[in-house]
Amino acid sequence: MASRDIVQYDTGLSRLLSVLAKVFLAAYVVWTILPFVIMIGSSMKDLLQAFTLPEVGDWAGTSALVHFTPTFKHYVALFTEESFGTYLSNSLLASVGSALLAVILGTSCAYSMSRYEFRGKKDLLFWIISTRMAPVVAVIVPLYAIFRNFGLVGTIPGLILAYTTFNLPFAIWMLKGFFDNVPYAVEEAAQCDGATRFQATLMILPLVAPGIGAFLVLCILFAWNDFLFATIIGSGAAKTLPAATKELVQPQNVQWGKIMAAGVVTTAPMMLLGLLIRRYLVAGLTMGAVKE
Amino acid sequence: MVALKIENVWKYYGDTVAVRDLNLECDDGEFVCMLGPSGCGKSSTMRMLAGLEHISSGDILLGDRRINDLAPKDRDIAMVFENYALYPHKTVAENIGNPLRLAKVAKHEIRKRVQEAADLLEIGHLLDRKPMELSGGQKQRVAIGRVIVRQPQIYLFDEPIAHLDAKLRARMRSELKHLQQHLGVTTVYVTHDQLEALSMADRIAVMHEGVLQQFGTPAEIYSNPVNAWVAGFVGEPAMNLIACSCAQEGNAVNLMHDGFKITLDDRLAKAALSSGERDLRLGVRPENVRLTADPDDGMIAGTVFSRQLLGSDMLVDVLSGGDHIRVRTDPKSPFEADEKCYVSFDFDHAHLFSAETGISIV
Ligand SMILES: Nc1ncnc2c1ncn2[C@@H]1O[C@H](COP(=O)(O)OP(=O)(O)O)[C@@H](O)[C@H]1O
Ligand SMILES: [Mg+2]
Repeated sequence: MASRDIVQYDTGLSRLLSVLAKVFLAAYVVWTILPFVIMIGSSMKDLLQAFTLPEVGDWAGTSALVHFTPTFKHYVALFTEESFGTYLSNSLLASVGSALLAVILGTSCAYSMSRYEFRGKKDLLFWIISTRMAPVVAVIVPLYAIFRNFGLVGTIPGLILAYTTFNLPFAIWMLKGFFDNVPYAVEEAAQCDGATRFQATLMILPLVAPGIGAFLVLCILFAWNDFLFATIIGSGAAKTLPAATKELVQPQNVQWGKIMAAGVVTTAPMMLLGLLIRRYLVAGLTMGAVKE
Repeated sequence: MVALKIENVWKYYGDTVAVRDLNLECDDGEFVCMLGPSGCGKSSTMRMLAGLEHISSGDILLGDRRINDLAPKDRDIAMVFENYALYPHKTVAENIGNPLRLAKVAKHEIRKRVQEAADLLEIGHLLDRKPMELSGGQKQRVAIGRVIVRQPQIYLFDEPIAHLDAKLRARMRSELKHLQQHLGVTTVYVTHDQLEALSMADRIAVMHEGVLQQFGTPAEIYSNPVNAWVAGFVGEPAMNLIACSCAQEGNAVNLMHDGFKITLDDRLAKAALSSGERDLRLGVRPENVRLTADPDDGMIAGTVFSRQLLGSDMLVDVLSGGDHIRVRTDPKSPFEADEKCYVSFDFDHAHLFSAETGISIV
C-alpha cells in the first residue's frame, strides 16, 4: 500500500494543463450526473411538467426544472398497474442467484487452478476465458435452442444458469489471481497444525474474501443490468427490470413517467450497493494486482 | 530409544533426484541438524517428514509407526517454516493457539497455554497484533510459538532463523537450543549454516546433492570429516585442501606440490602408503597452520596474498606454488601483503583425502 507524494514543479504549461483538466472534469461531471438528475426529476413530475422546457435565454424559466410539486404517482402505478414488484424480485433472484452460483463454482475451480499442476492446465485456462471472447449475440440463438429443449426458457433458473455461464469464466480468472497471491505455505502450516486438507483451504478463504466479495458484486451488476438474456432467455415469463422497462415503450404510447420511475427503481439499489461497499470493492479489485 | 527412522528414502521431482537413498535415525529427545548447501534436498526431506510431500520410495517411521501414508495432521509433528507461514489475518494469539483450536482444546486452556508459550518466547505483549505489524524476529518467534504450544513427537524446523540478521541469529541459536533442551522433544533442524549446526546439534547429518555424507556429533564432523567435501563445508574459515602427489623416497613419504615438497610424519605416511593412491589432497584447518618469518626445516615458502582481521584472530592468505593457504593466526601478526613468509602444518590435525574420490584416508 505505497502511497507517496509525487514531486511536482510548477511551470506555466503545467498550470495551464491543470486548469484545463479542471474544466474538463467539471464538464464531465455535468455530462454524467445530468441524465440522473433529469431521470429522478422527471419521475416525480406530471407528464406535462416534465416536458416543459424553458426557452433559450430564459434563465428565470430554468427554475421550473427544479421547482415542482413532487408526485409519486408513477411509482405507485409501476407497482399497481404494472407488476414491477414481481420484476424487482425476478431481478434480485436472477442476479443474486447467479452471482452466488458463479462465485461458489468459480472459487472452487480457481482454487484448484491455482494450487494444482496438471497437464494441459494452460490450455484449459485459455479455453475457459475464450468462451467469453464471442459476443453474447453470437451465441444467444444456439443458447436459446438449448435452453428451450431443457424447458429453461422463461424461468428464473434458466436466467440464473445463463448469467452463470457468462460470469463463471471471469470468476475463475479473477479468483485464481487472488489465490495465487496467498502462499501455499500458509495452508501447509495449517495442515501441520492439525488441519485437514479441506480445513486448511477454508482457513485461507478469509484472505481472498475481499476479492470474492468484489467479484460477487460485479456478477450481481452484470446480471442486474443485463438486457439481452433477460428479453430472450427470460422471455415474457421471467421478466427482469430492464426487460419490463422496455415494454413500457408501446407503439402508440411511450409512458415516460413510468419509464423514468422504472429507471430510478432499477438504478437505485445498485447505486446504494456501490456506495455501501465502495471501500471493500476497491480493496478487493486491487488485491490481485499488488504483491506485498 | 529411536524416535525417528528414515529408511532408504528417495525423492524425485520428475527426473530430478532431490534425495538419494537417505538413512537416518534420531534418538528420543535428540537435536539433529541437517546441514547442507541450498538445493541439497534438506527441505524435501523435511516436507516428506511432515507429510507435505509424497515419499517416492522408502519408509519413514515415527516411534514404531510407519507414517508414509498418514496425512500431516495424523503424524503428530509440528513444523516451523523458513518463511514463517503465519496466518496474516489472525492475531498472534490466534496464530499460536491455532493447533490447539484444531485439536478442540477448551478455550480457557488455549488461552493459558498460548500465554505460557508467548511468555517463554518473550512475545507476551504482542498477542493482539497481526503478523504484518511484527518485525522479522518477532514473526519468527510466533512461528516457534505455534509449534511449542503442543508437545508432538517431533519438531521440524526448516531454516527458521535464516532470514534474521546476524546478531539476532546468534541469540536465537542459544535460545532455541535452550528451549529444545527444556521441552525435551526430538527435533530435526535444517540449516545451510555450518556454525548453526555445530553450535546447536547433538548430531549433524551433512547432506550434499541429495546424498547423506556423514552423520555424527559436531566434534566428529569437525575433526574427522569422512570426505573432502564435508571437510571443506564444515568450519569457517574453510579447511585448506591442497592437491599434491605422493611419492616414496627411501624411508620417507613425501607430498610433492608445485610450490613445495613436504615429508609426512609416520601416521600420515602409513595411511598414504596403505591407500595406494598417488594423487592426494592434504587437508589442514587454518588454525593448524603456523606462520613464521624465518625458514626452518620442512617449511613452505610463500608470499602473503591478503590479510583479514576476524576480531580475535587474523586470517592470512599465503600464496605458494599457485595455491592459497589460509592461516589463522594472532591478530597482531606483523605480516603485510606481498611479504615473504613461511608456513608449516600441524600433522597431528591434518587429513589426507583421495584426490579422485574425495574419501578420507586418515
Ligand atoms: N516442487 C519441486 N519441483 C521440482 N524440483 C524441486 C521441487 N522442490 C525442490 N526441487 C529440487 O529438488 C532439489 C532439492 O531441493 P530442496 O529440498 O528444496 O533443497 P534445500 O532445502 O536443501 O535447499 C533442488 O534441486 C530443487 O531444485
Ligand atoms: Mg530449503
